[in-house]
Parts: sequence; C-alpha cells; structure tokens
Amino acid sequence: MTPLDQVILFVVDLSALLAVYLIINVGLNVQEGITGIPNFGIVFAVAGGAYITGGLSTRIAVSLLGTQTNLDPIFDNISVLQLVNPILRSQPPTAIALLILFLIIGGIAGALMGLISSAPAVRLREDYLAITLLAFGEILNVIGIGYKPLIGGPIGVNVPDIFGWAGQYRFYAGTLVLLLVATAIFAYAGYLIKTPLGRTLKAIRDNETVARSLGKDITQYRTVSILLGSTLCGIGGSLWVLYSGAVTPTYARFDWTFLPWLMILLGGMGSSRGVLVGTVIFVALNKLIIYYKHAFVGILPFDIVWLNYILLGLITILILIYRPEGIVREKWTAPKQNLSAADKEVKAG
Amino acid sequence: MGSLLEVKDVKRSFGSLRALDEVTLNVDEKTVTILIGPNGSGKTTLINVITGLQKPDEGHIYYGSTEITGWSPQQIYRTGIARTFQIPSMFGKLTVLENLLVAEKNHPGESFTKSLVRRLWAKHERDAVEKASKILQLLGLSEQSDMSASLLSGGQMKLVEIGRALMSDANLYLLDEPVSGVNPTLAHEIFARIIGLREQYGITFFIVEHRLDIALQYVDYVNAMASGRLIAAGPPEQVISDPKVIEAYLGA
Repeated sequence: MTPLDQVILFVVDLSALLAVYLIINVGLNVQEGITGIPNFGIVFAVAGGAYITGGLSTRIAVSLLGTQTNLDPIFDNISVLQLVNPILRSQPPTAIALLILFLIIGGIAGALMGLISSAPAVRLREDYLAITLLAFGEILNVIGIGYKPLIGGPIGVNVPDIFGWAGQYRFYAGTLVLLLVATAIFAYAGYLIKTPLGRTLKAIRDNETVARSLGKDITQYRTVSILLGSTLCGIGGSLWVLYSGAVTPTYARFDWTFLPWLMILLGGMGSSRGVLVGTVIFVALNKLIIYYKHAFVGILPFDIVWLNYILLGLITILILIYRPEGIVREKWTAPKQNLSAADKEVKAG
Repeated sequence: MGSLLEVKDVKRSFGSLRALDEVTLNVDEKTVTILIGPNGSGKTTLINVITGLQKPDEGHIYYGSTEITGWSPQQIYRTGIARTFQIPSMFGKLTVLENLLVAEKNHPGESFTKSLVRRLWAKHERDAVEKASKILQLLGLSEQSDMSASLLSGGQMKLVEIGRALMSDANLYLLDEPVSGVNPTLAHEIFARIIGLREQYGITFFIVEHRLDIALQYVDYVNAMASGRLIAAGPPEQVISDPKVIEAYLGA
C-alpha cells in the first residue's frame, strides 16, 4: 500500500466511526443533554439494533430474495450468504431497499430496547433512573452469547453484504451511506431543539416540578425522548453491523455508553454543535492514539494497551474540573420571529 | 358570587408534623384573597395540595362544582388553575421568552408527530410568541426577553413566574409570595396589575403574601393560618384586628 492509500484508508475508517458515533451521540444527547435523562444504558439500544439486525438480516434477505435453501441462515451462515451476496451484488437497488428495511428494523429494535430498559424506571428520580439503566447494559451480551439462534453465540454471524455492489469501493460506499444518515440525523436534532417539543423537553430537564405544574406530563415526554434517542442508537448499531459485515456479542459498555458520554461531555451537552465537536475531537484522538501508541513501547512505565484508556480518563477528569459545560456552551435558541418586531407591534397596538 | 375554590377539611402530615390540620376555606369568584400566617404555618403546603403536587391525606378540594382532590398537576393546570412558586424556579437555560412559551397550553408543536412538520405549529407558535411578548411588556421585561432566565435578578424571576402563570389563561391563580424581594414601586404595580386583570377578565387570585403593607390595600379577603390551621377569614380590617391573628402573626 502506498502512503496515500494508507491515508485514504485511515480517513475512510475514521469517517465511518465518526458517523456512527455521531448518530449514537445525538441519540444520547436527546435523552441526557436535552431532556436530562441520565441514560447510562444506551449500549442496550445500540446492541439491540446491532443484534436484531444481525439475527434477522440474513433470514429476511433469504425470504425476500426467494433463495431456495434448506440451510439455516444463522448456523450455516457462510454458505447461505454465498447464495445471497451474489444476488445483492448484481442488484444494487435491491441491496439499498434492504439496507433501508434493516435500518428501520434496527431503529424499531433500539426503540423497543430503550422502552424495555426505561419503562420500569421512567417514573423514578434522576439518580435512581441512572442506576437502573446502568444495570441493563450487559444483559444483551449475555443473551447474545447464550442464545445461539440470535447471532450464533460467541463467534457471531456475518450479515448480507449490502454494499457489495460497490466492489473494491465497498467500504467507501458504506462510509458514504453512514455519513449521509448521520448528517440527516444531525440536521434533525438541530431542528428538534428549535421546536416547541424540544423546548418543553429542555424545560423538564431544567425544572421538573415547575414543568409539571405547567401541565406537562413528565412521564410521557420522557418516554418520547427515550424512544427517539433509543431509535437513533438502534439505527447506529444496525448501520455499524451492516458496515462491518458481521456482528459478535461484544458490544461493550465502554465503547457504546462510556465513550458517547465522554464525547458529549467534552463537546457540550444540550448543544447540537457541541455534540459534533465532541464527537470529531474524541473519535480522531482515540483513533490517533490507537494508531501511534506502539511508538511508546518501552518509554511508558505501563503496557501501551492501557494508553488510550488512561488518556481518555484523564481528559474526562480535566473537562469535568475546568469546563464542566463542555467546549460549546448551550446556545440560547430564541424562536425565529424577530422579537423587536413583536414588541413594536405590541406598542403600536 | 359563588365560590370558585373550596377546600374542605384538608389534612396533610409529613411524618409527625401536621402541615395542614383540617383546613377549610373558600375563595370566591372574581376576588383577590390573600393567605397570611407565620413561616411554617402550612401556606405553601396548602398551595401544593390544591395544585396536585402533594396529595391531601384527607379532605376534599372543589374547583367550581368539580372535585379535583387527587388530580395530577397537569390535569389541574388544564382545568384552569395556575400557580407560581415561592422560590423563583426558572427553566434556567431557556430564555425569558421561552420560559413563558413553555406554559402555553395545548401547543401542537409539543406533540412528536406534529413537531416534525413546521407548518403544523408555526402559526400557533407565532400567536404564542405574541401573547408572551405582550405579557413581558406588561411586566416590564421586554428587554430581558432573549436573556437566559438564570441571569435575571430575584425580583425579575418573580415576575417571570407570574408571566408564566398568565400564559395559561387560567381562571384561578395561586401566587406564592409574588412580591417578596421585589422593590416597593414594582410590588405596588404588580398588585395594581392583579386588580386590573381581575376587573378586565374576571380572574380570581389566591395569594400567599407576607408584605401586608403593600398587599392589604388591594385585597378583598384575608385568610390567616397558624400551625396548619385556619384561624381567621374575612375582610382585611376584620382579620388583622382579630386577637388570634395578632398573637400568632402580627405581634402586639
């Protein structure tokens, strides 16, 4: 590989990771940043989207494409995909239609997981809610490992190659799709903050008692927020599986709850731009540390495996001490209408 | 004039503390009534119980002819009772204007599906902004409307509290110390506005207030509480000359 190829590969890889984290971080920000629900269990929704996509995608592809086979889509996964993938490679529109279908399934799976994990807890106060959600994190991995028909147990399964039609540019196409979905979701989040719904969610975050006394059904709004955020997390998990081409029951809380939290803390909770800034800085930093940490072998007094954990932990502590509101402070988003105009109107009337 | 709010034999305890001990009182329609009493006499608890934030242990609360005992705060708000808080409680990261807009009732843009299409809520939002701007004008807060509410002074926050309540178009307002921490000129102005709203729209006010020097000249009725019990009720002159009230509250 030429150095240029290496750079391109690094950028494509980075962009894909950036996109998937942006989607999930927006999902977390809707819950924690905007509504004030400390969801320490978003891994539940991410893994839900990922595992359900992993478990259903081959089965769905086989039945929709009318593939004749007696093989089991999960236990004879490789052989079945050898029948499915050539069809998808020759029919890009079918592949894209399936992609959209899988994303919808991933979103629904995420929403369901969000609902399951939070339904018993949504009436609790913040701190108890956080503890309950924390406890949910690992459940899906246990199911994924133990219940083989889901995603084949510990070794995982491959999924239909939705981007196979792009040939050697497969990962470029996948990255592009990830970036497109991430952009759309990011744009929606920016819009949401400016709607009356976003305003009410923020009001509930700022003062639950007053919001209640102003006629807001707190439980209902929290549920909307969790459903929305978890849907996005599920879509993120689903996309990541389709992009990687495989899924194993290893969706860890560190990667899919702890890191997203760090990113929105760093960037600035509640602010859309903050989420973007935090995601870009963090993902890039993490990737660079992983790429270059081998240069530190022998220099550091500990195994370099721990380097990014230590650095990321250190950064978190520094953010919380010196800039707890993050890099981008939450912006006041006044309604579009020009207020001075409204004032004049009032004075004239 | 019928009574708009009727509290009957309401009891509420916190552990061994009897915050409300068989409180019975009426608030007549289109009147301004104040509730006085020493600190800890149960005034705020009474407001919390009326607005549904706390449930009464016993007793009944009627709004007009409807019993609202045990209703949730949002049901009570929708039925036409709005309140303010003693300690100003802002939505700190929202602007002053947004603080008022949150109080708008039945905003279509608050529903998830309708929020997706701007056209479905933009007009309602414009009207709400206009209404809120008028209220801010009334309260002298127009210049602060784009400021984050957490940057306001304590007195200004009191005004935002009132403004937020006014957004609800309620028939009955329960104001918890609306003029504490507000300068005397503005405090008089606030009470004058309250009277104005009563005259103009027939709104009923039930106000907890310690500053009798300001409040008394504006109000129709005074209720006095001490140790969770109602000790006197009636026209201002009668209540403040009541020996029980003087002993418990006003001092000799």
